[in-house]
Amino acid sequence: QDNGYARLLRRQVEEVFRDNRMIAVCQYNSMPGEDMVLMKHYLRKHNIEVKFVLNEIIRPMLSQSKYKNLLPLFVARNILLVSPETKVKEMLRVLKGVPQINLLGACIDSTILSRQGVENFAKLPSLEASQGQMVGALALLPSQTSSLLQGGSAHLTALLDEHIRRLQAGEMGSPDESAPAQSLGAH
Amino acid sequence: KKMASKIRVVLRPVKSIVVRFCPFESNVESTRKFLGCINHKKIQATNRNCEVTADVRHDGSEPLVDVMFVDGDRLIMKGANLTTIEMLTALGSRCNAKDLKEEQKSKKKSP
Repeated sequence: QDNGYARLLRRQVEEVFRDNRMIAVCQYNSMPGEDMVLMKHYLRKHNIEVKFVLNEIIRPMLSQSKYKNLLPLFVARNILLVSPETKVKEMLRVLKGVPQINLLGACIDSTILSRQGVENFAKLPSLEASQGQMVGALALLPSQTSSLLQGGSAHLTALLDEHIRRLQAGEMGSPDESAPAQSLGAH
Repeated sequence: KKMASKIRVVLRPVKSIVVRFCPFESNVESTRKFLGCINHKKIQATNRNCEVTADVRHDGSEPLVDVMFVDGDRLIMKGANLTTIEMLTALGSRCNAKDLKEEQKSKKKSP
């Protein structure tokens, strides 16, 4: 519609989608006002904002943007939990205490996730930990190669050392064999 | 035409309600609206012990409303081809029937 208010709301929604990394879509069943205020408060602490949306405004906007696959989510009453950061674990913890809000799905960093996907995302290790794991995995192969290459000569050295030790132990009895044993040890 | 939010349902004989749906499917509108109406404070006020849970899946299963009654009965409504009003009236009529049975039983016990 070309209603001015509708255009304003539409622009606000477009802005929300543009400025936030995490947009979670939840079904809103009526809940007492004070619970809503408490929930908004806890979410604000993690920089998550609660936005009420009207389906008539958001549906045409989504169908023309890259978020087409979020369209089926917008029936019945919904709210959006938006944040420029991706604190999914904290959001899930707050939502667990509010049974009247049901998480349906989310769009995090332009990736559409289902509810299960959001829970898996929350369980991922941090970026630094993942980078450390990757570096460890990459370093594993060259270290295996170098130990393989050195393995042969290391084994030979060990065998020769053992041989010398035994000869020196036997030398206590016969000093004639000391010369060849010493030339062997020099290499 | 009746509005879904005006339908009165007394949840006294109900133990729990589980509403299961896949939000990314296209046939879930009536089930989701049913969930919204069930959570209305007037209906919730009729029985504070009744647990209403929403089970959000992503496996293409069809939308389902599973109602467990206090006397062990179970009502399963497959929401794919039902409207919200039909589901609410079905639940409401069963609850009323059970309530009437309870009243008759208690009247028989206390002459």
